[in-house]
Formats: sequence, C-alpha cells, structure tokens
Amino acid sequence: MYFTMFMLGMLYAVFALFLYSSGTAMIFIAPIIGIIVAVQYFMSDRLILMSTGAKQVTAEQEPELHRMIKTLADRYEMPMPKVAVIDTAIPNAFATGRNPKNALVAVTKGIQERLNERELSAVIGHELAHVANRDMKVLAIANFLVTLTSFLMTMLFWNMLFGGMGGRRNNNGGGVMMVYLVTIIVYFIGQLLVLALTRYREYGADHTGAEISGDPGALADALEKISGTVANIPDKDLRKLQTANAFLIIPAALKGEGSMNLFSTHPPLQERVKRLRELEQRMRYGLR
Amino acid sequence: MGFFGGDKTPKDDWSAMSTVIEAEAKLQTLGEITPSRRAGVIYRNNEDNAFLGDISNELNPILYSGQGSTKTAFEIHDDDRGMRWIVLEDGNFSDLVSSVYTVGNAIGANGAGDSLLAAVFELYFTGTVEDNTYRSGLRTYWIYRYDRKAFYPFVPTGESEGERDRPAEARLGQDLRKHGLSIEKSLTEWMGLWGIPF
Repeated sequence: MYFTMFMLGMLYAVFALFLYSSGTAMIFIAPIIGIIVAVQYFMSDRLILMSTGAKQVTAEQEPELHRMIKTLADRYEMPMPKVAVIDTAIPNAFATGRNPKNALVAVTKGIQERLNERELSAVIGHELAHVANRDMKVLAIANFLVTLTSFLMTMLFWNMLFGGMGGRRNNNGGGVMMVYLVTIIVYFIGQLLVLALTRYREYGADHTGAEISGDPGALADALEKISGTVANIPDKDLRKLQTANAFLIIPAALKGEGSMNLFSTHPPLQERVKRLRELEQRMRYGLR
Repeated sequence: MGFFGGDKTPKDDWSAMSTVIEAEAKLQTLGEITPSRRAGVIYRNNEDNAFLGDISNELNPILYSGQGSTKTAFEIHDDDRGMRWIVLEDGNFSDLVSSVYTVGNAIGANGAGDSLLAAVFELYFTGTVEDNTYRSGLRTYWIYRYDRKAFYPFVPTGESEGERDRPAEARLGQDLRKHGLSIEKSLTEWMGLWGIPF
C-alpha cells in the first residue's frame, strides 16, 4: 500500500513539474479545487447526512445501536462517534469523518433488520476501522489530485477549442495539445492508483475490524448474508428458462463477480470473504 | 421448520397458490396495499394442442358464462416471445385466485401442464402506513412459478431485462413470508418477467 501511495505522490510531483516547465498558467486553479475538497473533507459528516437522508439518532432513540457502537469505540480507544440511521431497506453502512473526534457512523434500517448483533457489530467495527486508520484523510488527498487533473482536462479541452480563435496564442497550440494529452494520461493512471488504494484500505479495514473483534467470521457472514439477499436475484427472464439453457453457461462465467454493484468501490466480495475466512482459520488454530 | 431445515412443502398447486389469499387479506387489513383485482397466467403456446388452440372458447364457460363460475373477466395476449397470457380481472380476490388456479388446472388437465410457466398477481402498495417501507403506488407483481410451486415478488423498474428493484424485492419476500405466502427460498430462481401486459 505504501508503494501505491508513493507512486501516487510521484505521479503528481512529476506532473506538477511538467506543468511548471511547459509554462502552463493553470496552476492558479489548484486553490479553487483545494477549497472544494477542503469543504468536502471538513464537512463530510454533514454532507453525508444531507445527501443520504441519514438522520442522527440519540441514545434514547437507538439504545442498542448506541451501546454496540460505544463498546466498539472503546476497543478502538476512540471517542464515541455520532450515530445516524438511514431509512431505507437497502442494506449498507458507512463511516465518515476526518479523524476519530469528528467521526460519524451511519447504518441503514435494512442492515439493522437483516443482520444479527454479532454481524452488525462486525460491520460497524469495519467502518470504525476506516476512521481509526484515517482512511478519509488518505482518500481526500488522493481524490484531490484526481479532481484537479479532471478539472484541468476540461479546462484544457475548452482552451483548445476556443483559445486559438482570437489568434492571440496561435503559436502555442501544439504545446496545449501536449499538456492536454499528458493530463489525460495522468488522470487515468491516477484513477487506477486511487482504486488500488481503496482496495488496500478496504482489506485493511477488514483486517483491523477482525483483530478488534477477534471474530473475522462475523464480517464474512455479514457480507455473505447481505450479498445473498440482493445480488443473487437474477437478471434473467423466466421465459428464457427452458429454451436458452445452453447459452447461459458462458455469460454467467464471464460475468463473474466483477459486476457486483453493492459496494462498488470495494474489492470483490468473494475475495474479501475468502481472506476473512483464512484469517478466521489462523486465529482459531494459532497459525501465523 | 424441522430439524433439517425443511418446511413442509405443499404438494399441489392449490395449497401453495391459495396462500396468496391469506397474505393479500392480511396486508389489506394492515392498510399496506389497495385491493387487487388483476392477475395473469403465462404459458408457452402450442396450437397443436386442441384445448390451447381454442383456449378462448374453452375458458369462457369455465370462468365467465358457465353456471357456478366466478364471473371472472379475461383477455388473451400474445407476447413477442411466443408466450400467451390469460389476463384475468375480478373484484373479489379469492375468486380471482380461484380462477387463476382453474386456468392452470384446465391447461394441465388437457395435457399441456408442462407449458405452464407462471401465474402473476398485481399488487399496489399504499405507502400510507407508518413505518411502511414501500413507497406509495409501488406496483409489485407476485409471481407463482408452476415448476417450483412457490411465489416470489417482482418489482420491475423498467422494460428491459434485468431492470428490477432487488432490495425492495428481497425485503418484500421476507415480509410476505411472514404474512403466510409460500415464498421461493432460492433467490437465484426469482426470475423476472419484463413487459407484463397488465
């Protein structure tokens, strides 16, 4: 993971140098994007409340949920986060907050109803692990760089379309093109690195959560249960049942787990469950 | 549920299909759904079968004009996948269910039981009940598969294959099971029917 972060840092350092040496005056937009990302970063708990319809709940309203989160927060030695509930049947949970002091944990009613106490506790433990591991900070920085490049890409695109029209900077057209192409490449490599980073962070949170609870199987059960309720419902039309059986084997195999959309930024669910089960084995039999 | 996890599985269509009457009545008492009046039976059409070839005239006395019939109105639709739909309408839900059963039973009795695909009931949620998770006017279909002898909910979100509200369906499946509906246990069997003609 540190290698990925290092690569990301290097990518943008080289990119900045390139922009500087090519004489692009675009650097001035960095502060604007900086402000946008800062707002997102410092207000993420409020933004998530607004955008998801999550409602903050008091200990009186949700005593069991509060008790469960308090126990977990104590184990992480972090202050009690804000607790919110989202009124939807879709099973999901998330955490936000730039540091443990400003953390917020939200669960949907769907997940509360479907999971038992052990599984729900594992899911919340996973979310608190994100907070404890300072994942919001890492992702905010990574996202800042990607947002910056995508903004630059748009700016350069319009600049190329209209910039030459007045004839002021005609001699610079080839240079802008060059910068544009490099920006696109940087954007895509940046995206890939951020994806890799999220993946590592996700496995990391799975691992931290499992160590805190001492029960990796609980999260594996929860993941299987959640995906089992929704993802197994097929795309297929009933009328294809008897006629098209022969054709179904290949698409089903090709489709695989890659198209699972329940946790789109997360690594494949099967891989996470597999790793948790392995960890469970190691913990149970003391293998290291 | 028994020790080995087996529910007692209904053996014939009627004992499985009639669970829809109880579930519908319960949900209506709770104010969760509006009265349901439409249903359909879908089967693979085969004109070589004498009964299927003359289905309209065969069904009319059984469903509508005959003595002791439930006076259930019906229409016939052919879809673009070679399937035929018998769409039934009746203000009395138990009569509707009994007519749906009768159609399937008559097709089966005339040697075309294998061509039966499903029976489909249309139900609208009111969304007026406190703590009701289904939005007002949500149209749901409860599909009964003849080969599985069980129901499952279907909430299409569009006309194309695969467009369905899976979370709502999963939730609905649990709720309907609580209300006594015989629900298909294996989610992978919950195949949709896009473009239902009613």
